[in-house]
Amino acid sequence: MSKSKAGLLQGTLDMLILKALFLGPLHGYGIGQRIAQISGDELKIEEGSLYPGLYRLERRGWVESEWDVSENNQRAKFYKLTRAGRKQLIIEEQNWERLASATMKALRAS
Amino acid sequence: MSWIKATLSFINARRHPDEVTREVETELRFHIEMRTRANIERGMKLQDAQNAALQSFGDFQRVKNSCCEIRRGLPFDSTLFKMGLHITLAVLSGLAALWAVNVPHHNLTGLMRQLIAIAVLAYLFIVVRRAKLQRRSDSEHMSDALAVPTERFRVNKSWTSDLSDASSGKITAHDELGRTPVERMFKS
Repeated sequence: MSKSKAGLLQGTLDMLILKALFLGPLHGYGIGQRIAQISGDELKIEEGSLYPGLYRLERRGWVESEWDVSENNQRAKFYKLTRAGRKQLIIEEQNWERLASATMKALRAS
Repeated sequence: MSWIKATLSFINARRHPDEVTREVETELRFHIEMRTRANIERGMKLQDAQNAALQSFGDFQRVKNSCCEIRRGLPFDSTLFKMGLHITLAVLSGLAALWAVNVPHHNLTGLMRQLIAIAVLAYLFIVVRRAKLQRRSDSEHMSDALAVPTERFRVNKSWTSDLSDASSGKITAHDELGRTPVERMFKS
């Protein structure tokens, strides 16, 4: 049976980016790779859509960026989580858990 | 502090828009290059690897424009800022109007002050009216969003049979003999 990848619900991309950065600073490409890795390659993300998400998070002060040299000696922009971003990730995780359990409850109702 | 950084970044983006575009482009090209390398490592030919990288990235131009727009945007929610600005202006206008009407109008200065008062009151009226219209349009948007389920219950002409005015699709309580549904039930 072919494995179908799940599309992302609106608003979850921000949470996934924050989660990916929780494990350490990364450039945009690395964030995409880490999301794929931590989701067991189950989540399908259009790679370009990561960047507007990252810019929005930076504007909100949840992540910050700086230019540095990548693993293959190229100039790349690295993102890291701020203290506000860590707090936001906790909030997002709690909201997500509440939503997921409520949805499950609704689906299991007879 | 992050908001100071955000404000400085906003000012910088406004002052040097070309630099922002270049930065965004460099960042996005780095991504495509990394993906191309990964594709080559998986055994693809250079051209195929590049094409696949571009395809998995999505619309490059759209992403670039979107990123540049966000970078050049205000570092905070502009609707709150605009609302605050309107409230401040309205309060100042009100104070100015109070000051202006509180003088005798038998000399030129008094007359001028009264004209100023009329102008600021007119401005206040416009601000309040605009706010009301905005609120009304917002609530219409809300009801539009909520209207979807009720759409299903719109009168369908095929349901109305003899209880309906078929030409207008409207349910009418009386049939062609002028009887209500209850009368029809008991008197038939």
